[in-house]
Amino acid sequence: MAYVAVSGGKEAIEESIRLLDYYRSGTNKDIEIEAIENKLSLLVDRVMSEAGLYAKTYAALALKQCEGSPEEAVFLLRAFRSTLTRNYYTEVVNTEDMRIVRRISAAFKDITGGQILGATYDYTHRLINFDLDQENAAELKEHMHNMLTSQTAEEIHPCPRVSDALKKEGIIDSCEENNQPPHDVTMNMLEFPSDRSARLQTLTRADTGFISGLAYSVLRGFGQVHPTVGELRCGYVELYVPYLSEIGESIYIGEIMMTEVECFNSADDKDQLKLAVGYGAVFGRNENKAISMSVIDRELDAGGPHPTQNEEFVLMHGDSLEMNGFISHLKLPHYVTFQSKLDAVRKTRG
Amino acid sequence: MEKKRLTKILAQADKDIVAKLSAAIQRTYSPVIVKEPGKTLTMIKMREPVKQSLFYIGEVIVCEAMVEINDVKGVSVIMGDDIEKALDIAIIDAAINLGVFTGMDQLLELEQEQSHLRMQENALHLKTMVNFNSMDQEAPDDLNANKKE
Repeated sequence: MAYVAVSGGKEAIEESIRLLDYYRSGTNKDIEIEAIENKLSLLVDRVMSEAGLYAKTYAALALKQCEGSPEEAVFLLRAFRSTLTRNYYTEVVNTEDMRIVRRISAAFKDITGGQILGATYDYTHRLINFDLDQENAAELKEHMHNMLTSQTAEEIHPCPRVSDALKKEGIIDSCEENNQPPHDVTMNMLEFPSDRSARLQTLTRADTGFISGLAYSVLRGFGQVHPTVGELRCGYVELYVPYLSEIGESIYIGEIMMTEVECFNSADDKDQLKLAVGYGAVFGRNENKAISMSVIDRELDAGGPHPTQNEEFVLMHGDSLEMNGFISHLKLPHYVTFQSKLDAVRKTRG
Repeated sequence: MEKKRLTKILAQADKDIVAKLSAAIQRTYSPVIVKEPGKTLTMIKMREPVKQSLFYIGEVIVCEAMVEINDVKGVSVIMGDDIEKALDIAIIDAAINLGVFTGMDQLLELEQEQSHLRMQENALHLKTMVNFNSMDQEAPDDLNANKKE
């Protein structure tokens, strides 16, 4: 395959870009960034996760700019991120301390700390609510605020992990803390076999559709069959960075919402005496992505003949920016290469 | 007060409240800006529970600022892009480090309000706690069910 530079089309391109505004101009009503951030928050979460950048307002703005296209929004956020310096690294975030808003286990009915359904669409009827067409946002906000402030305050207690008890029992392996500095795929090329930190960072940034499809293939038989969600937890974790170096304290910079999953699988030891665990963690509320990540993590550990067990296949093809960029390049002029293909066909036909 | 606790109160506080606390300091002192407030990135380092290893889940946009009052430094780093609030927090931090901050009682009140609201939100979520009743007698009830003695 070869490329050739072409010129021309400058005015057409400028008009094309202008035309994008035309496609956003079909109504007098504007969509406010605050509204996107709060009412399309699952989409905002998805974009932040795939961009690898937790910035709700900017994700909402990016979605507005590109007519709600997740891949374009990811591109915009990544581009913006590349203009900023990185001056801080947080202290290690441990999700044991998560302020939980949802926590379930498919492995056990009764878990220490309880199963908390939180806000979920799992039990809703999937029927369109036509009343929403006339919804009064201000009334809804006031109603929910009143509901919140009428609650009797409940102390917040962190929940132990479901896997902790199984580790104590020796059914799941316990590991010592490994403080090796993580690989950073935003700074260094991915190498194979990859470091675990590189794998997890790549998976958490992966396109939601890609990683969900891969996990689905596992469940359908192209991999290990049907892992069990040991624990899915969703909630807020607090972020701290070191204070002035000479003092040695930490400062709170804020909190992020995230979803974390541990899935339990049959172990790969020949006696089947233990369970193996796959791990997933993503920005925001994005349960299927976190579950899928945990499935793929385990598949990559297990290895085997299926695509989901091939590290290079999984880690090199799921990045939203890279995959959409490469597919998008097919729209660029390939006049010379196509002409040679055409010539070859014509010659063959005589 | 520990910096962790102090900065949590300030970061969660409404920007107008922080601005008033900062303005009160500036009526008496003249902070010098050492580092102009601006946006930067913070990488989030996580520990995963399976192998207990570290990885980066992604970055977050923060605002940072550094000031001095009478040669005593104050800094702030807060999530988001509120440059004014970042500067105000740095000024409050410098005043605290200098020992001239007088708004500590107000901060303690704020902390109580913030904590109360969080606990009310927690109550909302705890209302969704369930006990599943299994129709299958063989299904394990809890983590210790079916465990061999």
